[in-house]
Amino acid sequence: MATTTATLTLSSDMLSSPINISASTNLAKATITEGLELIEMGRGTITEADGSKTAEFGLPTALGADKAAKLFFVNNSTNPEHYIDIDLHDTNIGRLYAGDWMFIPFGMNDTASEFVIEAEPSGATCPYEFALFQEPQTLVTHS
Amino acid sequence: MATTASINITSDITESLTTSVSASMTMYKADTTIDLEETTGLAQRTFSGTPSQVVLIDVSATAVTAGGAVAHKVYIRNTGTDKTKGFKIFLADAADDIEEIGTLYGQDWMLMPWLATDANEDIMVLPSSSEKMTLEYAVFHQ
Repeated sequence: MATTTATLTLSSDMLSSPINISASTNLAKATITEGLELIEMGRGTITEADGSKTAEFGLPTALGADKAAKLFFVNNSTNPEHYIDIDLHDTNIGRLYAGDWMFIPFGMNDTASEFVIEAEPSGATCPYEFALFQEPQTLVTHS
Repeated sequence: MATTASINITSDITESLTTSVSASMTMYKADTTIDLEETTGLAQRTFSGTPSQVVLIDVSATAVTAGGAVAHKVYIRNTGTDKTKGFKIFLADAADDIEEIGTLYGQDWMLMPWLATDANEDIMVLPSSSEKMTLEYAVFHQ
């Protein structure tokens, strides 16, 4: 059985009592302990001139309802003013500024679950990397 | 007042090709290299009874700078150990539609940016079971 482990170490000294979070999870298929079995990894670059684009991973092969997937995505820009706007379909989640990363469960229920990215502001160029861990896709009959 | 977060992912999904992902970030205010200065602190909420979709993080109840040039971050973790039970996580969008992000099963965690434009971007959760289930969460914001 494949084992994929995601570990977070977060520390903040904003408060008089510092926040220290250490979290670790084995990425499993939905409702069972068996590990995820499919990885998509890669890198790309999006510019402001590209406009709003559906990311190249995951879709159009949606997993279907109630399956498990986890997505890591990082903006590798080094310009603090260059950010990637992140949308799930038509819902804006937020902005990843230079060096920011995110790690989320990714529903991928259907094509409406598309992961949409857009570089901003004018003139921005944002290299990015991603890793998508998911349940295996159903094999299809050959053409 | 630095807040830093590091992720490390290891996987043996492919036996012949070792997979490792690592990244670190310091949480800065938008468009700057100035540290985020505000947080809700680490909170915990326990759910039980008939599952229903409820607001976990209410924009109007969180002292965040609303929308636009913001670099808020949200951390959520299912503290349970049972992989058969999970919390569906949702974001309500500006059209009052509700967008499902995904499901956090036992021990799963997430860290994501949060625009927090208005009350239509509350973070909502739906437990899968009527049994006692717990989330911990925090917002780091400007």
